[in-house]
Amino acid sequence: MAEIIVALVIVLPWLGALVVWLARNKHPRLQHTLAVLFSVLTAIASLALFMFASSEAVEIQLPLGKAFGVLTFVPDGLAVSLTAIAAVIGSLAVIFSVDYMHGEAQLGRYYFLVLFFIGAMTGLVLSGNLLFTFFFWEITALCSYGLISFYNDDSKAVAGGIKALIITQVGGVGLLAGTLVAFVELGSFQISDVLANAASLPAAALAWMAFSFLVAAAAKSAQFPFHTWLPDAMEAPTPVSALIHAATMVNAGIYLLARFYPAFEAVPGWTMSVLLVGLISALIAAVSALIATDLKRALAYSTVSQLGYMVYAIGAGGVLASQFHLLSHAVFKALLFLAAGSVIHSVGTRDMRRMGGLGRQMPFVRNVFIVGALALAGVPILNGFWSKELILEIGLEHSPLWAYGVMLFGAGLTAFYTFRMVWLVFFGKERDRLNVHRAGSAMRVALGILAGGTFVTWLFFGGLNNLLASTLPFHELEHESLLELVTAILSAPATWLALLVVGLGAGISWVRARGYRLFGGDWLSPLVETSFGFDSLNRFIVQGTYKVAEQFSRTQTGELNWNILGIISALLVVLVVLWLGA
Amino acid sequence: MTLTPLDIVLFGIIALLGVGFYGLLITRNLIKIVMVLQILIKAVLLALVLAGKLSGNLGLGQSTAATVIVADTIVAVVGLALAVQVRRRLGTLDVPKISSMRG
Repeated sequence: MAEIIVALVIVLPWLGALVVWLARNKHPRLQHTLAVLFSVLTAIASLALFMFASSEAVEIQLPLGKAFGVLTFVPDGLAVSLTAIAAVIGSLAVIFSVDYMHGEAQLGRYYFLVLFFIGAMTGLVLSGNLLFTFFFWEITALCSYGLISFYNDDSKAVAGGIKALIITQVGGVGLLAGTLVAFVELGSFQISDVLANAASLPAAALAWMAFSFLVAAAAKSAQFPFHTWLPDAMEAPTPVSALIHAATMVNAGIYLLARFYPAFEAVPGWTMSVLLVGLISALIAAVSALIATDLKRALAYSTVSQLGYMVYAIGAGGVLASQFHLLSHAVFKALLFLAAGSVIHSVGTRDMRRMGGLGRQMPFVRNVFIVGALALAGVPILNGFWSKELILEIGLEHSPLWAYGVMLFGAGLTAFYTFRMVWLVFFGKERDRLNVHRAGSAMRVALGILAGGTFVTWLFFGGLNNLLASTLPFHELEHESLLELVTAILSAPATWLALLVVGLGAGISWVRARGYRLFGGDWLSPLVETSFGFDSLNRFIVQGTYKVAEQFSRTQTGELNWNILGIISALLVVLVVLWLGA
Repeated sequence: MTLTPLDIVLFGIIALLGVGFYGLLITRNLIKIVMVLQILIKAVLLALVLAGKLSGNLGLGQSTAATVIVADTIVAVVGLALAVQVRRRLGTLDVPKISSMRG
């Protein structure tokens, strides 16, 4: 039974992708219906998977030959919870798209890529075979590229897509390098083999794996020093930003670190590097969000910052805290992005300087956006509060005091930029004459469900903890109930300190808003525009890839004889391999 | 070392394949390309008959070879006809000159 459900959550969205594409763009109504149908079915299947959660591998045998190993899927707690996040938020994003993409051309391409992505994401987290994790990882990158560049007549969208593709490829190379090291040392691609035999591996090989996986995670999750691609990825349609660039794909890096934490924990310097990557990302992204004027870019910076909190939590040993925050963040950030999407869809601009006073015309969107914003700022009793406090608590216990101080400061900055965003968009005077219309019903359904989720997902803490503790044999997590979490957080002085900092950030934002000095920080903008100088590193990678590609294009002479030479040499290589292998 | 008939046929196949591939590598003339393709196909025909003999299905090998002869005649005819048309329209049979793709 478990095999069938696992196969369903991967194959259903892929089947849906094909069906929607085959429905042709002449029938947009049919395409919307089919996409919603298949994504909702996937979400139901992913929720059903909770009943079959175990650390036992589900083997789906495919005769792939020795080189690929056996194709296994492991529906353990980590995989099942991430599958549910991907499928449920995926279905909500698709429902939202019914209104958001209404009347757009080429819906087939759009829904194909979205559904293809959902299937690849569930495959990525469920796969128990590192090589197939890599394949799914690359498919998600490809879908992300295709969707960022969806408006392919816009040069900014195309450039942003290619940048995201190339930078996340750096991560793909890191993942592949680590995978090959594991194969050379262990002769197996199975993740469970790697986790079980990590202690017996040579120290150098393990360190190679640990740090190449860290590079992979940093590039995929837009962490320092690769954090510059995510803000540029905001040219994508907004439901895509909510699904791929806030709630799911960028979590793949966090997933990788959490998955292999028990194996790499003992590698000297690894946890400290992870902690530092998270800390630097959280801080500089929060500072960048302070002065962003594009609504979606501000949200993207805050995503980088919150992902930084999760990476920091893993560095401090809090795998559970990072997964808990991942769940909270996926829900409230999807809510914020979708709410921002309905604002953008309504007024037709992403520039916050032109918005203002929109709350009166869009009360529903204002209300749900404020719910999301309060959760992002970490205000009780919303889900963001509990998970962020848990991370800060673990940081106080297991990381240096200065690191805790920086993260606390970051929490204050988060509150500040969040309330600045709310103020600029929904309150104050109207700064520009904008044509506002109300959000459609499909949008309201998706937003309402997510806003409800923001209130209640923290109640799943006990269940999530039990699930992770009982199905992850290598992670040695403790069982802790929801009640224990609540009492621990409410009785800790650190919580009240954090709340004070959050209140301070919100208060400063309020005072500055009164004085209409929200666009301050001119000295910061050149720093933010170059991502504190790290944009040059990313540009170097992108330009370097372009140069190499241009060199390779010389081999395409179009001359028959050269092509024959290529064919014959390939034939010789195959013959030699067969001869040696036989 | 004595050569069995089998060895001789095998050498024949390899020699024909070698001539064919070498021809494909160096030829620029369209008609010569059709000719070396024919040489390659003849090597394959020999190999088919040989494979039939070795596996004990001589009839199967021979009948497949006969089918390939028919198909490959059509390839030759169409290829040569194309070559004639190319020569008439473009005034040359030199493949790199005909090629208009620049990458």
